[in-house]
Amino acid sequence: MRRELLYAILALAVLAISIVPVGAAVFLLGFVHGDSPCVMCWEQRTGMAIIALIGLFVLRYGPRPKYIGLSVLVGAWGVFMGLRHVGMHAARDVGQGFSIEIFGAHTYTWAFFIFWVCVVTMGGLLLAMKESDLSAGPRPLLALDKLAMGVFLVVIAGNIVQAFASTGPPPYMGQGDPVRFSFQPKNWVWSLEEWAWAPPVTLRGRWSIEKPDAASVSGDPGAGPLADLPVLPVKEKRKLAVPLRGTVTDLAYDAATDRFCLTTQNGIYILDGSLTRVLRYTVVDPGFSIDLGRFAGATFLDSNTVMALGENKSYVVLRESDQADPNRNFRFFLESFDRFDEVSRSRLGTVRSRMMYVMSLAYDRAGNSVYSVTVPNSKFRRLVVSRFDRRDLTLSEEFMPAIAPESGLRFSGERRSLDELYVTGAAIAGGRMVAISAAYSTVLTLELAAHTVVAAHAIPGIQAPVGIAIKGSDLYIINAAGDILVVEHTLGVN
Amino acid sequence: MEFLNFVILFFTAYLLLRKPEKERLAFRLLIVSVLLMVTLFLIATRTAILPGVNY
Repeated sequence: MRRELLYAILALAVLAISIVPVGAAVFLLGFVHGDSPCVMCWEQRTGMAIIALIGLFVLRYGPRPKYIGLSVLVGAWGVFMGLRHVGMHAARDVGQGFSIEIFGAHTYTWAFFIFWVCVVTMGGLLLAMKESDLSAGPRPLLALDKLAMGVFLVVIAGNIVQAFASTGPPPYMGQGDPVRFSFQPKNWVWSLEEWAWAPPVTLRGRWSIEKPDAASVSGDPGAGPLADLPVLPVKEKRKLAVPLRGTVTDLAYDAATDRFCLTTQNGIYILDGSLTRVLRYTVVDPGFSIDLGRFAGATFLDSNTVMALGENKSYVVLRESDQADPNRNFRFFLESFDRFDEVSRSRLGTVRSRMMYVMSLAYDRAGNSVYSVTVPNSKFRRLVVSRFDRRDLTLSEEFMPAIAPESGLRFSGERRSLDELYVTGAAIAGGRMVAISAAYSTVLTLELAAHTVVAAHAIPGIQAPVGIAIKGSDLYIINAAGDILVVEHTLGVN
Repeated sequence: MEFLNFVILFFTAYLLLRKPEKERLAFRLLIVSVLLMVTLFLIATRTAILPGVNY
């Protein structure tokens, strides 16, 4: 390609980036419509201006490697800035992006795209370069080059005015929630909020959340948030004696067929009512289609259909079948391909529970809903009960239970709260949920319609319980090692 | 601080246009501008530098 044509294309590219994203942003969006960039948008706009300026360096001195290299670095940094900014808003509800929308995309999304185009353009320029392009001195400017420089200066002058009004001179800097632009100094807000002391620098902030672990919490009921809990007397202690792949993660019971459902990390077992015989089992492929992770909750949806829930609220629904096609089921299971059919596999989406894992699952036949309960983590500590309509397994309700006044329960200290509990198993009968907390070995009884805790009991004698099931008038509480406590149920209390 | 950065960019472009013999100064100012831009972005995002989504 002729060298002057190459420089003309570059001059046009500088004009394009100066006028369209940077110039239109300040003159049209800013001065006319009053749009002020947030602090991140300011840095993205500055990045584009820097790339345009590097283009001017090339027009002036030729395509020196340090100019191209710096342009690629700035472009790559700009792609990261755009992604970081998109990440703040991408997962919100439809239409909830931030800032002005242009042709269906918000400004930070355009920034990501423009920086990417800049990197591609620099790559193209490098391909077109020859050694003879590298000259010792300045290159004489043509009319188009001077126009590009002039337009750049005008655009930057406009940005100087807007930046002075919106962000102020040093040490003030841009704001997270900028005020609408005005030429009136009385409407200017200069802020030092970004300099304010903040928690330590982190890479992922609130998204750095540890996986749940029932063994990580204290099981001492005397140290719990609820004072003077009555102790549930143990009727029987047992040990599970069936072969399992892995350790126990949950337990559920079906009264109609007198059978239990038990899960391991990815195994689903149907056992007889005495927990001594495996009637059928399978090991689910946790990586097919949906990332199921480790199972943490299980329930019967009917006498022949079971649902297993992962810690990340992904689930699989299986139906027992003696005619299951092992060839068809190869994709769904890792073992035992002909004992179940897979009905569905997906994820439960939540709002209040979004930043917390779960370790329980229960089905309410009367309300035709499944329930899960959150476990706290180092960043988010809320006891949230989520309900999903069985028909579409979509979130229908989330509540944070309160202590019912008539329960007589009281906190053991001023700052104690139900949020300290670590619910690892749940079961429902008669509109009430029993939930076992590995923290402080506590069984809560919740009135689901009223969103209240109506009773609480201490269950000493089992380390790190992971599941609870209701069988007749008894509660079966199990831990990962297969130790089982049988106690009288608490559903009729209060 | 963004105001300061745009002043630096304006002056650098002026050097290119009117004083091309000062290429070294202009490039150093460009580097300062890049570093200032990166620093301001990191100050604004320091509590969560990476995007807040599932990876």
